[in-house]
Amino acid sequence: MDTMTYTTQHIWTWWIAMYLYFGGLGAATLSITFLTDMYCRPHRSLVLWGAVSGVVLLGLSSAVLFGHLLHHAAVIYVLTPLAFIEKPDSWIAWGTQFILWMMVWGTVYALPYMRESESFARFPVVGRLINTGAAAAVAKFCIRWRSVVGWLATINGVGTAVYTGLLLQSFPAVALWHNPGVPLLFTVSAFSTAFAYLLLLMHTFIRSEDDEDLRHRYELLDLILIASELVILFSFFNYTLSGSESGYRSAQLLWHDWGWLIGFIGFGLIVPFLLELRNLTGKSFSRMATVVSALLVLTGGYLLRHYFMYAGVYAYPW
Amino acid sequence: MTRYAMVIDLNTCVGCNACMAACAMENQTPVWKDKWRTYVHDEEIGVTDQVRRRFFPRLCNHCDNPPCLTVCPTGATHKRADGIVLINPDRCMGCRACAMACPYDARYEVTYGDIDKGREFYGELQRDVPSMDKCSFCAHRVDQGRKPACVETCVGSARQFGDLDDPSDPVAQIVGSGIARPLMPHFGTSPNIYYINDMKRRG
Repeated sequence: MDTMTYTTQHIWTWWIAMYLYFGGLGAATLSITFLTDMYCRPHRSLVLWGAVSGVVLLGLSSAVLFGHLLHHAAVIYVLTPLAFIEKPDSWIAWGTQFILWMMVWGTVYALPYMRESESFARFPVVGRLINTGAAAAVAKFCIRWRSVVGWLATINGVGTAVYTGLLLQSFPAVALWHNPGVPLLFTVSAFSTAFAYLLLLMHTFIRSEDDEDLRHRYELLDLILIASELVILFSFFNYTLSGSESGYRSAQLLWHDWGWLIGFIGFGLIVPFLLELRNLTGKSFSRMATVVSALLVLTGGYLLRHYFMYAGVYAYPW
Repeated sequence: MTRYAMVIDLNTCVGCNACMAACAMENQTPVWKDKWRTYVHDEEIGVTDQVRRRFFPRLCNHCDNPPCLTVCPTGATHKRADGIVLINPDRCMGCRACAMACPYDARYEVTYGDIDKGREFYGELQRDVPSMDKCSFCAHRVDQGRKPACVETCVGSARQFGDLDDPSDPVAQIVGSGIARPLMPHFGTSPNIYYINDMKRRG
């Protein structure tokens, strides 16, 4: 009671960082592509790439978590919508439902485009499935209620991104996690990495001259999000410097680590910020700068979650 | 209403670890990987000739507002009306969120490997599925009117178990006197393990 021990945890490590990273990136990717399709202009390629990547990323996220469960069969208790009724206070219950419904509505939204695509028709199983009568009925429903389906997907996407932060916030013993900044930071990071991912796609696989305005808009939004992330991180720095020993020790771990300082803050945020700023304000535009910047932002997104998991400090009175 | 609590007197704990052994045998904990439902820390406190040893027993605090219960997505962690916080192993998927949420480091995992090892170690095993695990205040004994194994075996009577809602219970009286204090109450967990600090008696 008079002595204290300070320690980091070895329970949720890199695999939870992957879960949070893939979950946030996948959900934000789906949300952005659907909002673009609904309110900028209909964009089949973007929706197909976004929906497939988003669902795969969300699947990867869930698979990483599922693979590390102790008792896999009991996962059934969070998969049914009854989880909302039984455990409305648990963020994992909410997050699982957000991810599940995000995948459902994401697939439904993309279905009409999938049925129009020749590439999808050539896939062995998917090709047959999307041409069944049931798929035709769902696609018809989606075309009729496009905005509703799009918004259902978007709401679940934003919910998933926010959830990745709320999950960490629900652990009261660690000052670095238990504060209102974490959901904000993780949401901003999720959308920033998603814009970076979509920019990468639009400079590699979806290369169309007509998308110049979209690429410009995405890069501008990414720039704003990176700047916001830097501001949030600066406030985290100040918050952890004093107030609680747990927070102070987390600050010592983070701000004395070259991986965090140079890897994440430097190459994951500041360098992409400068590259994107040069593209948006300079006289010449460099596609390579956008691609490099996107890759750096994507790497930085993982590093943020990785270091956050490892820097959480518990204070024990023994 | 009954509200169970425990008072631990750090002045009378002699560090014999009988509580750990009794608990391990009663609840079949995975001792082979140094995981216990209750653990006694052996510490040296002070400097030069003032150095002394202090034994610090710890266990699940059976909080009134347990963060482990809130984060549990399946409802495996639940709280009885008498305040005992329990885990239903059949319902626990082992995401470990409860262990992350607990400020008292009270939870550990029991894996499929531990179940196999447990069968070799203890013979017949009480569990057949992996899950998170922690102190249950020996609810099965309490329901029979007995005390938790760690309390019953404690040679120095360092551990006392009782009902906070019964004014005639010695535990309620000690807690009411203010001499015993919970650990880290600032987290808002309202823990039900109270400690009498050894430093108080040293004056």
